[in-house]
Parts: sequence; structure tokens; C-alpha cells
Amino acid sequence: MKRKSLLLVIALLATSGANAGVVDDLLRQYQAQASQPFDAERAKALWTAKHRDPETGKDISCSTCHTADLRKAGEHNTTGKPIEPMAPSINPQRLTDAAKIEKWFKRNCKGTFNRECTPQEKGDFLTYFRNQ
Amino acid sequence: MTTNTDTRILVWDFPTRIFHWLLVASFAAAWLTHEDNRFLDIHVFAGYLFLSLLLFRLAWGVVGSRYARFQTFAHRWPTVWAYTKGLLTGEASRYLGHNPAGGWAIFVMLALGLLISLTGLTVLGGEEGHGPLAGLVSFDLGEGTHELHEVLSSLMLGVIAIHILAVFVESFLHRENLVRPMITGYMKGRGDGEPVAKHGLLGIGIVALSIVAASTYFWGYMIETQDDPYRIFKGPTLPDNALWRQECGDCHLAFHPSLLPARSWVKLLETQSDHFGEDLGLDQTALDELRQFHTTNAAESRLTEPANKIIRSVPAGEAPLAITQTQYWKNKHRDIDETYWKNPRIKSRSNCAACHLDAKAGTFEDAAMRLPDIK
Repeated sequence: MKRKSLLLVIALLATSGANAGVVDDLLRQYQAQASQPFDAERAKALWTAKHRDPETGKDISCSTCHTADLRKAGEHNTTGKPIEPMAPSINPQRLTDAAKIEKWFKRNCKGTFNRECTPQEKGDFLTYFRNQ
Repeated sequence: MTTNTDTRILVWDFPTRIFHWLLVASFAAAWLTHEDNRFLDIHVFAGYLFLSLLLFRLAWGVVGSRYARFQTFAHRWPTVWAYTKGLLTGEASRYLGHNPAGGWAIFVMLALGLLISLTGLTVLGGEEGHGPLAGLVSFDLGEGTHELHEVLSSLMLGVIAIHILAVFVESFLHRENLVRPMITGYMKGRGDGEPVAKHGLLGIGIVALSIVAASTYFWGYMIETQDDPYRIFKGPTLPDNALWRQECGDCHLAFHPSLLPARSWVKLLETQSDHFGEDLGLDQTALDELRQFHTTNAAESRLTEPANKIIRSVPAGEAPLAITQTQYWKNKHRDIDETYWKNPRIKSRSNCAACHLDAKAGTFEDAAMRLPDIK
């Protein structure tokens, strides 16, 4: 399984355009602080894993707003604002700006898990997103 | 003075009758639409029509036909007094055209009508920033004349009630239907002196002009689409900022700075790590730019009517972090049924754009509000 996703990363690296550089740089940074190779399957499980929101008492996950299918548009849980699809294949704007990626990791990990994500989790997520 | 004879003579020419009934219609339309902001377009159009009719009547009072001329019914006070006393004893003389008391009522109604139109224009210009006086009248003057506009209109309604009552009293007194002459134009009487011309073409012209004006004003509603709704009142272009649109607009409607006091925005940015449960994680450069943009264009700038009213409704020591916490917002939305807020398409009180067509622009024009169909 790990080998498969690693192969995919390599395949993408080979065919990547300018944007791949942004993701690769981040992945390198995260990998330096992570103990295991990145795994899209692990991110996929975390994406839909429910967490209790201490303020509302409701169970939420990344997919609450973004939906479980990264290719679909989502909707902000409380405000109802539309959210563009996460998948770069559908929405080429995604994963093109390192500062934005970091900002949203910080904002949404805290908002969903009540803590910041670890470099391991961020690397897993990026690996998961870029293949969509 | 005349006595009843069998001759039918024309008293009210066509333009005078058209004037009368269009004035009735425009006043009624304006009165019935004055409570609800959504009908501001109808209210304002009715007002323009009302004023145009009054101006026509002023001219017609000078150059019109015999009974329409002011000279004919501008009686002196002793005559009015004698007539009014006669009404009480049942001995009032019969007049063709306006009787002395009725003539005075006409002058009172014309004057009231002109004052109502004038104050309507100052409210429209001052509070809403629309109409011919936009930019010339301050918000405060607009608001100050708002109450006067309402008081004068109520007075007008009172005079109208007296006018209608008098028509019935007189009809009873002289055993004739006084409503009919305002429709047909004819009364029974002796045709002494200058006969009244019909002026039919002028009357038709007034009707045609009114129809053309109404069609032009409201035509946009006929061709509007769901995505491009027609708006008669468009607010000013407010100061904009790309960073604000992006950072705030990512998660919710980018609420224009003019909707909260500067102190609220400062506090909001200072507490960005717990922004309604989320950590915004904005860096210092972004914070500085947003603070600059928000404090410069905050409600204190009084850029719009809501800005004026919000800044006034927030007590000096308070810095609400949500527009929905201001007293002005609460008052404005108290009649909105709970089912709207709970509807999945509206979802939240912060979703201004669900009803306000100009929420993104930040102008929140009174007439740009439409409750969506949630059935």
C-alpha cells in the first residue's frame, strides 16, 4: 500500500507542472519532521473521522463541510458559504500557494480537531489531495 | 349661486377628473406601501406621480376651465363661514363646482400635498441617497423630515376623510349625487356665462403619460431573471479591498466595514485566534491592512443608511463582534419568522445575501430586500 502511494507521488513528480514544486517543498519540510512515509489512505480515514466539537456538542469532520468526495463542492457548516472542490484535477487553484495551504491547515485542523495537525498528518493530507 | 334646473352642464373638465382620480390612486398606493421597505419603489413612484399631478393642478388652477380655476373657488372668509353655518342648519346654498368650504379644503389639500412631496424628496435624498435631492440633503435632515412627512400624510388622510364626509353630507342636503359629477363631469344647473370645454385630448395625454412613466419605471421587473434581479435603487459604490474580500469572504459573506463601529473591528482582529470558534491565523501584514481598511470605512464613516443607524444604535462602551448583535439589526429583523432562519438554504442569521440582493456590495438598500420562497 505505502509503496503504491509512493509510486504515485513519483509518477506525479515526473509529470508535474509548476505547482507541484509548492507541494513537494511542503512535503519535504513535513517529512523532515515526520516519522513515517506519507500515506493517502491514512489521510482519507482521518478526513471522515468524527470529532466532537466542544462548543456545539456535535460531531464534525473535514467532510462535514468539504463532503467525503474531494471532487465535489462543499458548504461551510455554520455560514452556508459554498466551498470549491478540493481536488486539483477539478479546481486547479488548489495547492498552488504554500502560505494558503499552511493557513488553512492551521485554521481548519483547529476548527475540526481542536488542535493543530502534525507534520505527519499534513503530509498525509497533501499526498491524498494531490492525487485527486 | 345657482338653483336646481333641468339643464345638464359640464362642470369638471376631463383633465380635472383624471387629476382627481389619479391623485386618489397615487395617494392610496403611497399610503398602503409606506410601512414596508420592499415596496419603496412603488411608494416612490406613487410620490412622483402625486407631485406631478399637483404641479399640473397648480397650472390648471390658473389656465384651466372655469370651475377648475382657483379664482372660481377662492372665496373670502365671511362667505365660507356663512356657508358652513348654513350646512349646520340645512340651509346652505347650492354651488356648481366647489362650494366655499370645499374650495378651502382644496387649497389645504394642495398645500399639504406639496409639503408631503417636498419632505418625501428630502427623506429619499437624505436617508436613502436617491432622487433629485441625493447628495444635497444630509442624512440628519432626511431623517428629521421623515417624521414630518408622516405627520403631514396623516393630516392629509384626515382632510380626505372630511372631504368625503362633506361630499356625502352635501349630497344628502341637496338631494343629489356629488360623486357622479367627478366621474361624468356634469351637474344640473343653469348655464350662466362661460361654458366649460371638455379638454379631452389633454386628459388622454395625462393618462397616457402616467402609463408610459409607470411602464418605464417598472419595466425592469418584466425582464429580470433569477440571477439578475431588477433593482431600481442602487446604492453608491463603497470602498473595496481585495484582501478583505478574500480573507473574510472565504468562510462567510465579506461584511462591509460600514456595518460595525471601528472599535468592533479592532477587537475582532485582536481576538482573531478565537473568531467564532475558529483560529484565523492571519499574519501581522494582513492584520494591519485589514485593520486600516476596516477602521477607515467603519460605521462612523456613515457611508450608508445602515451605517448611520448602526453607529447610533451601539452604546459608546460596547463593541459588538457581530452585526446581528446590534440593536438596529435586531429591530430591523424582529418580524422575520423563525422558519426563515432555520431553513437549510438560509442556514444562519449571518447569511445576509439570502434576502439582501446587494449584500455583497454592502449597501443594503431598503428596496433591495426580498424574502426568498422557502416552501
